[in-house]
Amino acid sequence: MSFSGQSIPDEIYFLCMLHNIGATNSGKSLTFEDISRWTAMEPEKIRDNLQKLIEADYVHVNLTSGIEKYHTTINGIRKVLSMYS
Amino acid sequence: MLTWEFPPRIVGGIARHCLGLAKALAKEDHDVHIVTLDFPGAPSFEDVGGAKVHRVGIELGHPNFITWTFIFNHFMEKKVAEISQNVEFDIIHIHDWLTAPAGISSRHYLNKPLVSTVHSTESGRTQGLHSRDSHLIDGLEWWMTYEAKKVIICSGSMEGELAHHFRVPSDKIAVIPNAIDISRYTRHIDQESVKRHYGIGPYDKMVLFVGRLVPQKGVEYLIKAAPRIIRQHSEARILITGDGWSKNYLENLARSTGHADRIRFLGFVSDSQLVELTMSADALVIPSVYEPFGIVALEGMAAGVPVVAANVGGLSEIVERDRTGVSVYTKNPESIAWGVNKVLSDPGYSKWLIQNAKKKVEEVYSWQAVAKRTVEVYEEACTG
Repeated sequence: MSFSGQSIPDEIYFLCMLHNIGATNSGKSLTFEDISRWTAMEPEKIRDNLQKLIEADYVHVNLTSGIEKYHTTINGIRKVLSMYS
Repeated sequence: MLTWEFPPRIVGGIARHCLGLAKALAKEDHDVHIVTLDFPGAPSFEDVGGAKVHRVGIELGHPNFITWTFIFNHFMEKKVAEISQNVEFDIIHIHDWLTAPAGISSRHYLNKPLVSTVHSTESGRTQGLHSRDSHLIDGLEWWMTYEAKKVIICSGSMEGELAHHFRVPSDKIAVIPNAIDISRYTRHIDQESVKRHYGIGPYDKMVLFVGRLVPQKGVEYLIKAAPRIIRQHSEARILITGDGWSKNYLENLARSTGHADRIRFLGFVSDSQLVELTMSADALVIPSVYEPFGIVALEGMAAGVPVVAANVGGLSEIVERDRTGVSVYTKNPESIAWGVNKVLSDPGYSKWLIQNAKKKVEEVYSWQAVAKRTVEVYEEACTG
């Protein structure tokens, strides 16, 4: 998607996918493998996107029984909604 | 009433519109049920000013946004069916295409009239239909107008869009403006302390933008106007509130002006912070490229801040040139800078605009008036 020379960054598309597959709170957080299965993206790309989104406070990572699980933050949800509202 | 955003799930104007309308209708003793989507921390059911809010959890997901939309519509539809076991609805009212599938199917199985409010159109938002998703959304927007007994739009500028693009008959369309809760802007605000909180000195001029950071809102033209504003008013500080997918692009653009130290991005701010900011600003700029209504203009007018708005869509109906605000050319940084400089340079002129604007908001844009007109449309839908 592109408007007046601006296009939606890859990590925002990825955030949108993370939101749409339901990882919207800690109870619904997903492992790297879950995300990989849903999005069918290359692991390196997923890792890169997750890193950018965690730094921007759009994604939160929590450690449950030694396993990292990811979900969108409230800011992340708002970011996704802003694309379509 | 079906809506994908309702407080605290706030993104654009739809959440505030649905909240204001629902509360005003409930105040007039109408039994209002809002079916919306869940949000972290929000209860699955609550009473908001007399309106019953049902938040639906989405039990399935899908990475594709449109597919996800159809999935959440299915869960909304289930919720409507569940509520209708105990409540006899008279009207199904949907807001924008996002809840169209659930609204349309509910209208058929409940055999009740559908009222659709079109807040904006895909062809307007994206300035044309450039993708398969946009074509599908455009189709859903047509479908929600076709299935509706009445179609509500918020400004006269939308009437032509619907009549030409979707071929909606004029007798099916009702123009009902947006409104705001004026009482939110009557409290005392210590402007100096608000400015201090955002790192702005007491003698600095606060130029405010409020909205989603997407191309439709034209923030890039305000940023491009910054050097011209700062050249004339070195005390000007530009505050940009809101978030959106253009944020990184806009931050880079701000750096390229050489005035990044005077342009601040605040991200999403809460409703009460927004009221404080708006009431403390010296100018509110709405540089939109496409704006069917422009509720931010009303908020600025009620808050007593001079409004500088692009002359597009509904904004050109709200902001009367040199009477309730300053009207500037869209996509034109020079014109935006001229408008901002005009209000910052002439306090007498700004005061005149503020007085007229407040009066207009009080007379025309109250929720009471909007609810009354909406009920008339509901009655026409039930009897027509």
